[in-house]
Amino acid sequence: MKHLYIITAVLLLWWLPQTVQAQQYTGISGLVHIPTAETNHEGDAFIGAHFLNKAMTPDTGFLYLGEKYHTFDYYVALTPFSWLEMSYVCTERMRAKDDQTGQIKWSKDRYASVKIQPLKEGKYWPAVAIGGNDVFTTDLGSSSPDVQLYFSNVYIAATKHFTFAGNELGLTVAYRHFFRSYNSKWNGVVGGITFRPSFFPQWRIMAEYTGNEFILGTDVLLWQHLRLQGSVKDFKHFYGGVCLQFNLLGKKYTY
Amino acid sequence: MFHRSLLRRAIAASLLALSLWAGPPEANAQSTKPGLDFFSGLDFNFKDMDFETQYKFLIRLTPGFKWNFGDHWQVVGQMQIPVLNQYGTEYSFVELRALNISKEFNIKSLYLRASVGAFTQNRYGVDLKAFLPLCDWFAFEGQAGYVGSVFLFPYWEIVAPNRFVGTIGGDIYLPRWNTQFRGVVGKYLYDDIGAEAEAMRHFNHTTISVYARWSNKFNFDGGFKVIIMLPPYRRTHRAVNIRPASNFRLAYTVMYRQWNNKMYYTDPEQNERDGWFSRDLLHWGSHNMEPDFIIKEKTKK
Repeated sequence: MKHLYIITAVLLLWWLPQTVQAQQYTGISGLVHIPTAETNHEGDAFIGAHFLNKAMTPDTGFLYLGEKYHTFDYYVALTPFSWLEMSYVCTERMRAKDDQTGQIKWSKDRYASVKIQPLKEGKYWPAVAIGGNDVFTTDLGSSSPDVQLYFSNVYIAATKHFTFAGNELGLTVAYRHFFRSYNSKWNGVVGGITFRPSFFPQWRIMAEYTGNEFILGTDVLLWQHLRLQGSVKDFKHFYGGVCLQFNLLGKKYTY
Repeated sequence: MFHRSLLRRAIAASLLALSLWAGPPEANAQSTKPGLDFFSGLDFNFKDMDFETQYKFLIRLTPGFKWNFGDHWQVVGQMQIPVLNQYGTEYSFVELRALNISKEFNIKSLYLRASVGAFTQNRYGVDLKAFLPLCDWFAFEGQAGYVGSVFLFPYWEIVAPNRFVGTIGGDIYLPRWNTQFRGVVGKYLYDDIGAEAEAMRHFNHTTISVYARWSNKFNFDGGFKVIIMLPPYRRTHRAVNIRPASNFRLAYTVMYRQWNNKMYYTDPEQNERDGWFSRDLLHWGSHNMEPDFIIKEKTKK
């Protein structure tokens, strides 16, 4: 099984040059698990789904009979202005299993994400953004605090890009704070590097440190509307996502 | 002489060719040109608050007609026919969604729309809408109605008008970003008093908004809305037209408080992008954007 993950990762990194740009599992621009200070283009809208490996889900809320399980989320996201991104995400949760049919019943956890970019990237300074996921709850005191806001976190991020020979190198540093103690391993300073080659700028390669693990990932934008992303955590655990992208202002972007 | 004559003929021929190439005159759609339109759309509902079933759907066909008979007089009618119903038996009936007559007019910069008849939400009565732009970016709005309720199926039931409802508020429009903020307070259909705030961005053929609302009976709610103007965007106008509904509207509520801040529509195709008034009458807000529909007049051969 371990070999399968490695082969998948190699294939993604080697074969995907024909395909890749990025989305996070929240629909907000970023790397794989960490946010960046970039924003998508004004008017960009996304509808997508992301496979979430159990290695990267919160340790509470995504357990069934004491065991973690693989799941997925789906989202809609919009960039109404060049400085604002919003998304709405549903993450599937295993709720029960029918003993007779073996059929699994699922419920879902809903949350919203917002990112605001008060400072755009300049020649000598980085872009700066603040944001949060799953900050608000509709469960107003009716249940234990630990069974809501599973993904809740806030962050501040800075991102700077450098170009050389038409290639683009991006550096991101962020400070992130998760509100739930079971996610505290991802607190603190996190960061990542991206590389976009000149011969195929729709493709992006990225490496990031989440505060607890290293993730290697890649993504691509195909035919201006289809985004694919694949990544591996510690060369073992696979993540992946697909989304449809449209620009509601009718503009066309290469990436 | 010969050359002058040839030149004249060439100019005439060029003008004729140009006029043929330019085609018949075009007019903006979303206007109220005289004619009878038959249309149909889908009323698409889903809820995801049920513990046993993640999603429940209610899909209804909404065939209707609009008869514009000039000078902004309009008769509208629409039915609601269930196609897929997972909501329960109370939604399984064919319903009258609207049947009313309305007139739009303006007194200087005050725009008014008066309607009489059956409205959405199983209501009937009289309704008056008012819109008062003070400048390019700010306007007051208000709506007042006196309504009763009417049900056709499964049995005929009609309750005489007994309830005043209304809202009053203002709109701010930022033309550079085609962004609109709307805030109103009012008394709503279920006798609740409440307030609504909405921020919307108008894109090409699409409007997306986030909103929050509060009612003294049903508490807070919020969510987002998506309004998509449906193609074809170039249409030919005839005396009788058959077309799809002008728009698809999805409103997502986080809390699924289905009774709070409820208000009827008088126009079955009413939406937040177009507002209450025809764009050929009121030139404010999103009506100053490129029209969603270009209507070509059908010319007689």
